[in-house]
Amino acid sequence: MENLEMLLMGFSVVLTFQNVMVTMLGAVLGLVVGAMPGIGSLAGVALLLPLTYKFNPTTAIIMLGALYYSNMYGGSFSAILLNIPGDSPAVMTALDGYPMATKRNRPGQALFTSNLSSFIGGFIGMVILTFMGPALAELGLKFGPAEMTSLLLVAMTSIGWLVGESPTKGVILTLVGILLATMGMDTLTGSPRYDFGNMYLLGGIPFIPFVIGAVGFSQVLKLMTERNKKVDVNLTQKLTIKGSMLTLHDVRRLVPPAIRSGFMGTFVGVLPGAGATTGAFLGYAAQKAFKSEKPLGSGAIEGIASCESANNAAAAGSFAPLLALGIPGSGTGAVLLGGLMMWGLNPGPLLFSSNPDFAWGLIASLFLANLLTLFISLGVIPFLIKILTVPVRILIPIITVVCVVGSYSTSNSMYGVIIMFLSGLFGYVLDRNGYGVAPMLLSFVLAPLLESNMRKAFIISNGGLGIFVDKPISAFLLLILLAIVVTPVVKFILRKVGTRKQ
Amino acid sequence: MQLKKVTSQMVIPVVTAVIAALFIYLGITKYGFWHELRGPLPGFFPTLIGVALLALSFIAFLGSFKEEKTTYPIESWYPALGVIAIMLATLVIGMIPSLALFVILWLKWYEKYSWKTTLIGLAVIMAIVIGAFVMWLGVPFPKGIIYNWIAY
Amino acid sequence: MRKIALVLALVLLASVSVFANGTAEAAGGAEKSFVPTRNVDWYVTSSPGGGSDIFTRTITDIAVKEDLINGKNFVIQYKTDGAGEVGRLLVSNIKAGVQADHTLLTFNSGDLMPMVKNTSNRFQNFQPIAHMAVDKHLIFIGESSKYTSAEEIIDALKHGERLVLGGSKGDDIACHAALIKELGITQDQLSYIAHDATSGAITAILGGHFDLLISKPAAASQYVEAGKLTPVLALSTSRFPGNLSGAPTLSELGYKNVEVPNWRSVVAPKNMSAAAVSYWSNVMKQVSETEAWQKGYIEKQKLVPDFMDTDTYRAYGMKFQADYLESIGKSE
Repeated sequence: MENLEMLLMGFSVVLTFQNVMVTMLGAVLGLVVGAMPGIGSLAGVALLLPLTYKFNPTTAIIMLGALYYSNMYGGSFSAILLNIPGDSPAVMTALDGYPMATKRNRPGQALFTSNLSSFIGGFIGMVILTFMGPALAELGLKFGPAEMTSLLLVAMTSIGWLVGESPTKGVILTLVGILLATMGMDTLTGSPRYDFGNMYLLGGIPFIPFVIGAVGFSQVLKLMTERNKKVDVNLTQKLTIKGSMLTLHDVRRLVPPAIRSGFMGTFVGVLPGAGATTGAFLGYAAQKAFKSEKPLGSGAIEGIASCESANNAAAAGSFAPLLALGIPGSGTGAVLLGGLMMWGLNPGPLLFSSNPDFAWGLIASLFLANLLTLFISLGVIPFLIKILTVPVRILIPIITVVCVVGSYSTSNSMYGVIIMFLSGLFGYVLDRNGYGVAPMLLSFVLAPLLESNMRKAFIISNGGLGIFVDKPISAFLLLILLAIVVTPVVKFILRKVGTRKQ
Repeated sequence: MQLKKVTSQMVIPVVTAVIAALFIYLGITKYGFWHELRGPLPGFFPTLIGVALLALSFIAFLGSFKEEKTTYPIESWYPALGVIAIMLATLVIGMIPSLALFVILWLKWYEKYSWKTTLIGLAVIMAIVIGAFVMWLGVPFPKGIIYNWIAY
Repeated sequence: MRKIALVLALVLLASVSVFANGTAEAAGGAEKSFVPTRNVDWYVTSSPGGGSDIFTRTITDIAVKEDLINGKNFVIQYKTDGAGEVGRLLVSNIKAGVQADHTLLTFNSGDLMPMVKNTSNRFQNFQPIAHMAVDKHLIFIGESSKYTSAEEIIDALKHGERLVLGGSKGDDIACHAALIKELGITQDQLSYIAHDATSGAITAILGGHFDLLISKPAAASQYVEAGKLTPVLALSTSRFPGNLSGAPTLSELGYKNVEVPNWRSVVAPKNMSAAAVSYWSNVMKQVSETEAWQKGYIEKQKLVPDFMDTDTYRAYGMKFQADYLESIGKSE
């Protein structure tokens, strides 16, 4: 109960007029920044850092915390409405969000689902953070290179669940994604790899322009054939807050995956370097193991709920190592940490004891930001979905401009635009030939983590394989992996045997 | 056996196979595969993945003969041409004027919208680009050589 | 004829003297009177929020607050493409003129090492402005370590024990290389695991996944205070102050000191005019003398203040580059 008291104290810090206003401002800015493709939470927090210099540290971090947090909401907006993921976790949201908004004609409900599950996931994450933060951070430390390798192997294998109708094609793109990700600098040796003598490739292929191109720009090329389609009259009637409401049945579909993903996402967020994307992905993949009313990928509420809840929970979870140990779980966390140091605070294992009002104030502000962002984002739904009433013929040049501007802004260079353009063309050709690009994007994110952890583990073990089974957590994860791989095979054989007997 | 026309379904696995071969070749010859004590070297992981990709590309190539020929509607490439034009124009007149010009030309000339619709569309997109990206987030968009001549 | 010759000669003389005067005035005038006439582009080749960014923002904040740059402002340009190489090449290639005089680049030893290792760009392609500070390294052990001191560790290594050292990229790797060379052991006796950032290495050693950690003082200090890390060896010519003073230098253990300083500096395009160079060098000197710099940056980041003007820094940088190239077998 001590933690609850501390949290209440945190609320007494936060609930001043100025801090509530600042939280609100952070939430709005975060939503806007998150909704803009190309400007992820990292760039958003970094760009707005100077704005906070005028405040005292507690107020400043409250604003940044709110901004970081609400970013996770914003990323899904453009994913659902335009099929352009605003940030990397939103790749998963687009899988079901865009079909739900367009094919099922339920854009309001899709956004509503995303916001409500974000809220649920975030809330679960924050409650866990409040009561078990330091303990959870310690547990995260147990995940060394060997454990992370096994976990990521599980994650990579479950990409197999996303490949859809043509398994061969899906796996091919998964592997292409891995190879593309190996280009650039090899961290472990500090030497370039597959850079083909090109200076830009030394830094590898930047992810955000890659996603904007492969998903967003290729979408524009596809839309060209649907230019003359009339806007659905039914749709225009639905575009009010009333028409965006979820039915009771929808809510029943939404809550169980959101809660499951909330717990899982929090845990993934705590792990070193795993981040919100891995969280969102595992949340979505796990949903495959449970029943969904509509098949995942066709606009299922369960799909949106599972990944949105997981990614917000992971964002909350990543505050556990940040606050308890001073370890940033992500690039954005590192910027927040840099901000803390500039204000004269020393983040690290002593933060809770040396600056309790600050640490607990930040946690309390996350609760507040979560609630405020939910209200704000629900309020803007009716305005946002108006986008869908704009004729496709007008949307095409506008989305094209957004793709160019967004991909330029990630690294302020034309290189991003070129990558966006090329991956757009490839994405389009692949899509026409029945290759879905989602597995490629996910393996692109996960493979570098897998490779570096695996190689680190081998350095520690002196090249031996024993390290993966000697460590209990790793061995347990490998058992899960075995189950994932073996189950379909066994099922297949049983089915064969069954048919033969008949 | 009946000779079939080359389709893009056949080309894609060939391309991925070439990529795989390239990554395997460089992985083994240039970046190193395995070290007795240090374990996997930089070429290890890409080489393994490359081998798997090579095998699957082969399977996909065989499968591609059964598939229908894919068509590519010509108008789908127009936005791509637009982006190329934007990139080239950016070098000369800078990115923001290029984007504005693109939106005007597209809506007015290609889609034949009225000036009113065109200008509203332009105003909306410019409000997003200039208001959010330039003024608020301070993204330094390229200004092109003409600006640089005048400025210096 | 003579008249014409005389007139010609006079005209010539006059024009020469006017020309000479003019150039002298132009040169002399610029020498004394360069001031920024527009906002200054300051390039940073790593992500916002990192060490280089904090360094740059601290300087720009102080320079603007102290009104050192003629009421103009700094615009920080992040150029992270190609692991920063694109931005460095861009700055080194800027042609003489207004742009060159209004461009600065944050340049650290952690930038120089990959640059000369992986590209053909060199230190001499830049105009050194000022060397600001130096960061050095220590070796730490975790809570659960079976060793308690550097002596025990070196002893174990000498007796064939195999240990793993974790740290960040760049200068940390160079430190490891210099250390094993001095101890006379191989890379496989003391293996190195490079992480993207020191925080990743700290996470791993807190979890007990390897034996030793190399880090700069600022990143590890909090953990020392909390008793989670213990400094065992200072890779410096003298011991560190404060809670890190327990770690001896290598010379105290009978070896030569190993020191691969991570320096932080400011450079400019090679084509910056001499007047602008002396102007900017002077601005950096004034910044380095403010209290905001000494207390708010150097002390907090646990750095060693080490201001060098243009010429001293040029000599230092060239030697550093030559030494580094030699150590990786690429001497020129």
